[in-house]
Formats: sequence, C-alpha cells, structure tokens
Amino acid sequence: MRALLMAVLLSGALMSSTPASAQPPPAWDTADVGPRGSWSVGVFNPLRIAVHDSVELQTHPLLFFVAPNVDARFALLRSPLRLTAEAGLSMPTLAMRLVKGYLFPSWGTSQNDIGWMLIPRAGLLLSGNVLEHDVWTLRADATFRIPLGPNSATPLNFFLTPLDLVLAAPLTGFRSRVGGAYDHAFNDRLRLRGELNLYVTGSQGNLIVSGRDVGAIASVSPLVLTAHVGVDIAVSEHSRITAGVLWANADQGATRLIEGADGFSERVRVRSNDFLPTLDFIWQGF
Amino acid sequence: MRRTLPLLLLPLLLASCEWVADPMSFTREEVPRFKARAEHPAPAANPTSLKVMAWNVKYGACRIDFWFDFWGDRVQMSESEVTDCLTRVAALIREYDPDILMTEEIEVDSKRSAYVDQVRFLLENTNLRYAAYMSTWNSRFVPSEGVGRINLGNAILSRYPITKAERIRQEDRTDQDPLTSTFYIKRAIGRAEVDVGNGRTIAAYVVHTEAYDQDGTKQKQIQQIHEVLRAETLPWVIGGDFNELPPVCDERAAAGTPESCVGKLRLSGFLDERESSQGTEFEQPPYTPSVMKRFYDDFEPSISLARYGVGEENQRRYFTHSVLGPDSMNDQGLPGTWSRTLDYLFIRKGEVWTDTDVIQGPGRLEVQGDASRLSDHAPVVGTWRLP
Repeated sequence: MRALLMAVLLSGALMSSTPASAQPPPAWDTADVGPRGSWSVGVFNPLRIAVHDSVELQTHPLLFFVAPNVDARFALLRSPLRLTAEAGLSMPTLAMRLVKGYLFPSWGTSQNDIGWMLIPRAGLLLSGNVLEHDVWTLRADATFRIPLGPNSATPLNFFLTPLDLVLAAPLTGFRSRVGGAYDHAFNDRLRLRGELNLYVTGSQGNLIVSGRDVGAIASVSPLVLTAHVGVDIAVSEHSRITAGVLWANADQGATRLIEGADGFSERVRVRSNDFLPTLDFIWQGF
Repeated sequence: MRRTLPLLLLPLLLASCEWVADPMSFTREEVPRFKARAEHPAPAANPTSLKVMAWNVKYGACRIDFWFDFWGDRVQMSESEVTDCLTRVAALIREYDPDILMTEEIEVDSKRSAYVDQVRFLLENTNLRYAAYMSTWNSRFVPSEGVGRINLGNAILSRYPITKAERIRQEDRTDQDPLTSTFYIKRAIGRAEVDVGNGRTIAAYVVHTEAYDQDGTKQKQIQQIHEVLRAETLPWVIGGDFNELPPVCDERAAAGTPESCVGKLRLSGFLDERESSQGTEFEQPPYTPSVMKRFYDDFEPSISLARYGVGEENQRRYFTHSVLGPDSMNDQGLPGTWSRTLDYLFIRKGEVWTDTDVIQGPGRLEVQGDASRLSDHAPVVGTWRLP
C-alpha cells in the first residue's frame, strides 16, 4: 500500500509542472551543438563539451583509456533546421584484447591475435522542432576499419546485439546506420523519446588462421534493426535520469523447429529479438 | 571453460528474451525426429540383422586441433572446412552402410561449426533416412574463448523409421562453479524406437559420458546407463563414447595382484596428452575401467575382453581414440595414433554379434575411408542378429 502511494505521488510530481524552471530539459542526442562551454556527461552516455558555439567534442570516458575515442560535431546549419556533421576516430584493440579468453580466443598455441586498427566514423544529423519543445532528428553515419596489421579476430555473433553493433566495424570492417528519433516534452520534468535505426554491417569475412585463409566464415544477415523507447526524468535543473527499453532484431544464427503433420521436424533459420533495459544518469551544465 | 565470466556480466546474460544457456531441466522428454529429403534406397524388408555403427564425429572438425585439446587453438571453422570434413565422414558411413548410426558430438547451429546442420547433412549424404537429435549443450553464447552460440548433442540415424525419440537426463558435474556449470554440457542418454517392420520395434541408444570431471560424475553416468538398459523391454542396442577404458583389470588393485592393471592396460601417460594440459580443467582425469565391468558381465560387447586381449600390442587393433591425428607430432616427435578404447557397442546378453570391428583406417572391413583423419574417434561397428 505504501509503495502504491509512493508511485501515485511520484507520478503526480512528474506530470505536474515546476514553476521554478518552467522549461523542459533539452532533448539529447540531436543535431543541436553548443553553446560554447556547455557540457553533458552520463554514466554510460559520452562526455560532450562545446569548445566553440559550433563545435563539440565527445568521448566515452569509461572506455577512453582502453579504447581511445573522440568525436567532433560541427554545426553546419543553426535554425530553424539544425544540420550537424560528425567525425570520429577510435582505436579499440586494447579493449578487445582485455576480453581474450572470454569473447575472443586466447590463441595459446599460435601467434594469432586481435590486430591493431583505426576506426574512423562520419555522420550527419538533421533536427527540427515541432510544437514548442518537441524535436525530431534524422541521422545517417558510417564507420570503417583501417587495419594496421594482421588480425585474427572474427565477428562475435553475440547474444546481445548492441555489442555486435559496437564491434561491427572492428570485426566486419564496416557499419552504417540510418535512423530517426522523436523527442516529446510532456512538461518541464518529463520527456518521452522514441528512436528507430537500421544498421548494415560488413560481411563475416574469411577465417584467417596463422596468416592462412581457410575459407569464408558462415554468413549471417548484415541487417540489424533497433528501436528504443525511453523517458527522461529531470532530477534537477542540470541532471536527469533516462530509462527505457531497447529492442534489437538481428540474425544471431538461431534456428527454430517446425514439426510437420507426419511428426517429423524441419529446422529453419530465424532472426533473434533482444529486449534490453536502458538506464543512465546524465549531468549537464553551461 | 578456462576462465569464468566476471559476475558483473551476469545481469546482461538474463536480459534477453531467451535463455542464454538452456538449463535442460527435464528428466525424460521426447526430442524432434527428422527424415531425409533425398530419395535413399529402401532397406531390406523384415531384416534378420542390422548393421550398426557408433562414431563420435567431433563436430565435423576432422583433425583440426581445438583449444581445449592443447595441440591447437582453433575455436571455429570456415563453412568449407566443415562441409569438406562432413563430406568425407558421410563417404565413410556410406561405405560401411549401417542400418543404424549412433553418433556423438554432432552439432546443428553452432558458430564453431559454421552453423551447419550436421544431422541434416548426414541424412542427405548417406543412405540413412531418419534421424533423432538429442541436444546436450545449447547456449546462445558460451563466453569462453569466443566459442559463442553452440548446439551440440548426440544423434541416432536409421534406415528404418524412427517412431519415437527421447532423451534421458544424466547427472551434472558438481565440481564446477555455478557460472561455468551454467554454460557447460548437460549430458543425456538418447533413445530412439525404430520400426524394423513386421510389427517389430527395437530401441537404439546413444551416449556420451563426461570426460573431464574429478568428482565421479562419469562413473555415476555410466551406472545410470546400465540401469536404463536393464529396464528396457524392447530389443536394444547401445553405442557411444563412454570416455572409459575396457575392464581388463581393476585400477584399484595393488601391483602384483591378479587384478592389477600393471602390464595389462595403460591407464595414463598417453602419447596424445600434452604437458600444458596438466593442471587445467581439461587435464585427463584418472581412468576407472572397473566401472565398465558390469557392462561386460551383463551385456554383450561387440569386442569381447578375450578378443581385446592383454597389453597394448594386442589391444592396439581395437583402440578408438586419439586426441592427436596422424599428421601431427607429439612433444616427443611421435605422430598421433589411436591410443585407447573409449567407444563401445553393446546388446542384450545372449544375443549375437557378427563382423564386429573398429574401423581405424583403410582396409578394415573393406572400408577405404581413413577414419584416423576424420575425427579423434574411430567408428565401432558390428552386425546385430535380431532376436
């Protein structure tokens, strides 16, 4: 009963406006850049700092020392439509080597290893407003692999698609994305965001064993579809909690049995669906 | 698994909408049956005997050395490596042309074997027309050495219709931490009822017991298999990889006593054991051949103990296993060769075997395929005169 009362009170608080600020928290992950000096960072979301009214730098602090990464965002158009270009570079080899023995082989009897590589990324975001505080965003980006040496690592075909997407460029050589998002402000504390993305990754490639090509790795579909629905709850003027659910649809090599009328079965390849909770705490300042 | 995944990842393992690792919480359950799409020759009507083969096919890897063998470090194969190997495996099976094949370590949608449906492959490329697959290891992702998705098990293939198939759960190991255990193989006895015509049904069994336990799990599994067979009411045949030596002697007997294994049966120090495996979870545990004695006492083996003989020179002809293939050298510079017997065929006591052998290489029972290059186990075969 006490929990129910708390839930009602919390819901009421969220749905009511707060005269002190009277402005909803800004939509995030849009084409908006700056102003200079503004910043935001989450536990999992990247650190983003505007070094100029039209230029932001972005990095994932949690990964920086094992997978150095930086993105720059350049505002090309400011108002009413905002167009932003993104360019980034990362080097994930060390982070990948840290999970050898788990996600990757240890290669205990050979010189095979995860190769050094650079991962450049380029993209465009276009955002516009609807109503007073709603924001729509369209995006397209592509990520590549520039090998700096021999590499024996192969795609994970992981059971959680987001990790396969993060490692798509390092392990398949390519990942592109087109997607869109809509961010609706209910009031000065609560936003709802929906996002849909279609990814295309590179092929699984060939299996290289001690420098020898032993043939093509079994193919899996390069198409991945994701959708995310989440809420942003303003905790203070400069912080928010984001929570949501991510759905991902991908070919993970799964099969399903279909039994015929004669009692005998056929095994057919199916795509897998993942549902993952998302949660973060984001600070932002000016 | 050499190392376990940090517990921090555990919540993620449960976050998806399917089990990451199938707990296989059944005691006894029916399993799917399959039939060949290709037109194969019909078997003899009302047979008086059945040709039987038991073969651990090493997931279509032939002699590629995988990481847990310590002679190599492969974790996956290309599609052509798997299909090339299975093509040669199927050719040997066609040469012998069994009526019933019991096979272990066969996979259906596993990353390491290029997601090839190996049961379907053997169905379409041999004269066997029906199959039942008993999964014993089904994980969406095994977080060890990049093994990834795996679905490994045992299968029974038959030229005669399989009318019912089931798996019977075996005991799990108790010497692993919970996370490793979650992602580990869940052993099961496979059973299929085969309609051989004229109102006669036989039961075929396939087994693959534990290889690396240090807690007596394998011995318990072998005992359970014995009990299941004793309770079987149909005429039956069992084949499989028992991971245990024949009971030529009693490993517990002191040297110099009549039951001692000294000079009669090699229990350790096989030439295919790599030193670097010592102390790991893939170190070969001590063999306990005495646990197989009740099988020889109560059932009819395809190779009797009298024929098997005493000492390596006599027994060599019936060895069925070697981790190391003939094209690889061990630490002493010796090529791999069959080094011990782990695979068996049994029928009910008093029934009759004919033409039994181990197809170790070209020429045995006129088969020209070279099994020593097709798996780390040799096929065990025989003709079972139906009761």
